[in-house]
Amino acid sequence: MGRLFLRECRRLWQNPIYGFCMVVFPLLVVFFFTSLMHEGLPQDMPVGVVDEDNTSTTRALVQRLDAFQNSKVVAHYPTLSDARRAIQHNEIYGFLYIPKGTTDNLLASRQPKISYYYTLTSIAAGSLVFKDMKTISILGSAAVGQATMRAKGFTEDQIQTFLQPIRIDLHQISNPQTNYNVYLSTMLIPGLMMLFMFLITAYSIGTELKFNTSKEWMQAANNNILVALTGKLLPQTLIFLLITFFYEFYVFGILRWPHPGGVGMIVLLGVLHVLAAQGFGVFAFGLMPSLRMSMSICSLWAVLSFSMAGSAFPIIGMDGPLQAASWLFPLRHYYMLYQICVFNGYPLLEAWFHFAALVGFALLPWLVLKKIKNAMLTYVYIP
Amino acid sequence: MNRISEAIHDTCYIWWDEMKQVVKDEGVLIFFILVPLLYPLLYSWIYNNEVVRDVPVVVVDDCHSPLSRQFIRQCDASPDVKVLSYAADMDEAQSLLSRQVARGIYYIPSDFETRINRMEQATVGVYCDMSLMLAYKAIYMTARLVSLEMGADIQTKLGQHFTTRDEQIAAKPLQAEEVAMYNPTGGYGSFIIPAVLILIIQQTLVLGIGLSAGTARERNRYRNLIPISRHYNGMFRIVGGKALCYFMIYAVMTAYLVLVVPRLFGFTSIGRWDQLAVFLLPYLLDCIFFGMVVSCMVRYRENVMLLVVFISIPLLFLTGVSWPQSSIPGFWQGISWLFPSTFGVRGFIRINEMGGTLSDVLPEYQVLWVQGLIYFIIACLVYRYQIFLARQDARERLSNIQQASSQEE
Repeated sequence: MGRLFLRECRRLWQNPIYGFCMVVFPLLVVFFFTSLMHEGLPQDMPVGVVDEDNTSTTRALVQRLDAFQNSKVVAHYPTLSDARRAIQHNEIYGFLYIPKGTTDNLLASRQPKISYYYTLTSIAAGSLVFKDMKTISILGSAAVGQATMRAKGFTEDQIQTFLQPIRIDLHQISNPQTNYNVYLSTMLIPGLMMLFMFLITAYSIGTELKFNTSKEWMQAANNNILVALTGKLLPQTLIFLLITFFYEFYVFGILRWPHPGGVGMIVLLGVLHVLAAQGFGVFAFGLMPSLRMSMSICSLWAVLSFSMAGSAFPIIGMDGPLQAASWLFPLRHYYMLYQICVFNGYPLLEAWFHFAALVGFALLPWLVLKKIKNAMLTYVYIP
Repeated sequence: MNRISEAIHDTCYIWWDEMKQVVKDEGVLIFFILVPLLYPLLYSWIYNNEVVRDVPVVVVDDCHSPLSRQFIRQCDASPDVKVLSYAADMDEAQSLLSRQVARGIYYIPSDFETRINRMEQATVGVYCDMSLMLAYKAIYMTARLVSLEMGADIQTKLGQHFTTRDEQIAAKPLQAEEVAMYNPTGGYGSFIIPAVLILIIQQTLVLGIGLSAGTARERNRYRNLIPISRHYNGMFRIVGGKALCYFMIYAVMTAYLVLVVPRLFGFTSIGRWDQLAVFLLPYLLDCIFFGMVVSCMVRYRENVMLLVVFISIPLLFLTGVSWPQSSIPGFWQGISWLFPSTFGVRGFIRINEMGGTLSDVLPEYQVLWVQGLIYFIIACLVYRYQIFLARQDARERLSNIQQASSQEE
């Protein structure tokens, strides 16, 4: 076992691709996503204004829109079609249209109408801009009502009640700032790490065949495939664990993302993450003991995982067969376990199924041990 | 004259040779044919429902009054939310949340109706599980809309008005109309699929070209990318011949991806095909030359997968679809300029989904040509170097053989 361990360490050191895929790229990915979305919630997104009225009332409205955190008024356009073209040119995500005579009609109680246009080709940008513009239009309405009621002699409380009889008291459990970084990165980064673990596991076993070292490898383990695989994968497990723990320490410890589940749960999650991914990698190789086929399967499966994890578009919105198929993706179970036990801090019992599934993935290699041994002893690599 | 005909002849020879290699290599076939054919269908199926309906919520109604029941009924009747059950208290509701049975809680306090009747502001508590953004949006927006609607009713009753028109104006002095453009339902598929389609073109091309180059290197006895053949001299011939082969395959695949797939699943697609063809021509060439540059860095055929697959997800984010382009930090904007997909996706979305014309995407269009030209030049230089390496190897071996034979004499 010790000999195998050292042999594998030497292999990892000699081929630089291992260093890149096990350490450099995963760290790059961690840095990429956390810095890309460091704003948390996109801020100051460009919006335009078509103000045909151009009075102090409408200008105040526009200034208020500009003052919102998510929107920034970057341009005034003379006509509607100019503003539309600006959307098509990717300059703005939406615009507010105030027709001529709005202020006059407002003062004369003729109920004028303003419009806001927004594009949902980018859902995050579009819906945030929409939210701000909707709020502005409600506020615009309220400002008028407020002035009228004040003139009639109502108290502030009464005015508040009249303008908004029912108030929504929103509690965003665990993520009160609607931080997209917390929401997306905690699935994307582990998902990409899983991709590397799948590929590297299949690659490291497959290259034994490719470089014709498989027989020597098996001999070093006295033809015991279990010893051979354990000795081979153990150094990788340790490196992957180190990287995973670094990621967890970075986001939960330094960036202080919500983790009411506690440190113990985070460590457990990290261990399961690595073991399940390696288990899947070995299994994929065992299914098709050829380097290129097993790596193709691993990459296709891993890329699909990002959709099937159901964090962006939820599983409950998918068709029935897909809901069942989502069980076949380790990332799905990882995400659910994270989400239930770390992010929301519920007891492990609530996620027992996903826990069991991850353990199952880690044990999958049992099924293909014989096949891998057979492959290692008899197969010959054909380029 | 003779030289030109020879060059054309060589280019065609290399094209034919590459074509044969592609067809014979199952790994390349998977990435050139199978993945572009099936992946979009799979993704379209996943996102086919576009929106999430009937998100389950649990209600804690401490008020038990006609008004509170009206609030719950109206939420339940909305398309996005379904009232799963009533819980006796918050603890019970939370246990439903922790078991993932419900996604949110509507809590109506006991003084809800009393306060409204007393002309005081009433509150409704909305508790959302934040692990699913779309579910959170559905739960929150529904409660908000229902509260506004009921609020308007209450307002009209409270105000002392004479006519219905008076009431309407008092409740809403300023009307507002919202117009969602280009993806009116806010569908998730219509938003992510176009970007994925264009990204698939680039990624499968790079993977396929890399695999094919890796195979060529491994088949070669001396691990050289360029075989020793009288046809393989001249970098333009090699780059041109290979590019022609890939271009022929991908002209067909791209037509399928951008014209057939969106129509098959009814995603927004209002672009004109001639505009798309003109725009995607430089994109394809750009991707091909980019792939050839990457392929020269690959020593073994499988390594290309390790390098290329993982980058798909960051590239998707750099296009500005998932994360707004205006919020991407400058450093990553700079990195994104290295990849054809950044401009390809942006331009494609604006032509295909927003009905833009070529003049609307002129900056992207120009960048694609310039980028393509740069990658073409780099590809030529890299291949020139490879030819040089191959020749040097050949010369060395030749001199070795000569030495050996002279020693024998």
